[in-house]
Amino acid sequence: MNTIPKDLKYTKSHEWIRFIDETTVEIGITDFAQHALGDIVFVNLPQEGDSVAIMDVLADVESVKAVSDIYSPVAGTVIEINAELLDAPELLNKEPYEAWIVRIKDVEEIEETLDSEVYEKLTAEEA
Amino acid sequence: MKTTFIVSDSFDPYLNLALEEYLISTVDDDTVILYLWQNQNTVVIGKNQNCWSECKVHELESEGGYLARRLSGGGAVFHDLGNLNFTFIADKKHYDVDRQLAVILKAVQSLGIPAVKSGRNDITVDDRKFSGNAFFTKGGKSCHHGTILVQADMEKLGHYLTVSEAKLKSKGIKSVKARVANLTNYMPELTIAMMKTKLIKAFGEEYGSLPKRIFKKEIDPKQVESLYAKYASDSWKYGKLMDCTLEISGQYLWGGITLKFEAKNGIVEEVLAFSDAMDAEFITELPSKLRGIEFSAESLSETLKNLYDDGNISHGNDENNENGEKRRILKDIQELIRREGF
Repeated sequence: MNTIPKDLKYTKSHEWIRFIDETTVEIGITDFAQHALGDIVFVNLPQEGDSVAIMDVLADVESVKAVSDIYSPVAGTVIEINAELLDAPELLNKEPYEAWIVRIKDVEEIEETLDSEVYEKLTAEEA
Repeated sequence: MKTTFIVSDSFDPYLNLALEEYLISTVDDDTVILYLWQNQNTVVIGKNQNCWSECKVHELESEGGYLARRLSGGGAVFHDLGNLNFTFIADKKHYDVDRQLAVILKAVQSLGIPAVKSGRNDITVDDRKFSGNAFFTKGGKSCHHGTILVQADMEKLGHYLTVSEAKLKSKGIKSVKARVANLTNYMPELTIAMMKTKLIKAFGEEYGSLPKRIFKKEIDPKQVESLYAKYASDSWKYGKLMDCTLEISGQYLWGGITLKFEAKNGIVEEVLAFSDAMDAEFITELPSKLRGIEFSAESLSETLKNLYDDGNISHGNDENNENGEKRRILKDIQELIRREGF
């Protein structure tokens, strides 16, 4: 398993959050998540401009095992989607911490997040 | 852990899928639900499939069939009343695909049919698939559903799922064809009712508790109704138009034509026209008239119709003159697109 980057925040539902500035974030799924999902074959992304609330379904991924929702850990507005994933969903498996899914701006509210050590413990328990 | 079961009394695919989602949203953390249901004449496609490249949608619907999109992934399947669907619904902590598949295997084996698990998600007998399975999670609850071919109409099953020469290419998930078989091939007297009874019995045995029936009066009709509206809606059934390419060809008295469309976000972005028609200039101009239009057979056909109704072309009624031939070409292309139906 990859090491868990220290500069990111994490959720219990295995998303990661990277702060680009104080109110803009990138969201992706963790290495643990991609591993549990298996080979990802399709990604449904939101539209740029969509506003999202905490725990809204942000995107969904279809893997060889199942279709699973990805939840938004923040409230804000989608400013950019990673369209590269539409052609190459496997990037979520290969480079989970590089393959961001969406960028969200005007982040007003954020779910309770975990830092890397706490998240690492959580995944050790779930594994 | 408790076990409950429910058998749908409707053959309407949208209602059955609505009830499934309702059960997922209301299941408590300590219960495993077995839900049995049947759809009449329905092609059910995976969540991320392009219906036009997986199914003869117009033919299906004009013959009284239904197109339905489910929440799980994977490929397209045809359901009729010879097919029985099952769904296992449970909180993540009680969800166990192997155990759920064991219920299906036990039920079929108890009839004396030597069924085995094969590949990742299939159950087969004699290397022929009679049960396809698919999975999804929603709000912390997990769902495993699948089909059991008891006595399905094999001719129809293949027919609607065979799309003409796969001319439509898109990013959606592609279906994989499998050799399939009805369980009645192995046990001619088997009925859907018998299969249901065996499944509920095997469910109880596997989980070591007597499954309790969920009664209709326990279900909130309002919630099911609003989910029904989603499943029956065009936007859910047909899906947001995915990026795709379509190639269509026809041979006519005036020559042959091949049109290649590239669509993005449901809009025609590029059109290439190849033809040996005499009026080459007219064919060359055609693509510019089709770019930027919504990528559906209906709106393209409408645009072509407007072109030949247009004063410039319909001027003069003589079908033998130059304009008459242009109209002929447009009409033929319009008919070609309409027939293709996407």
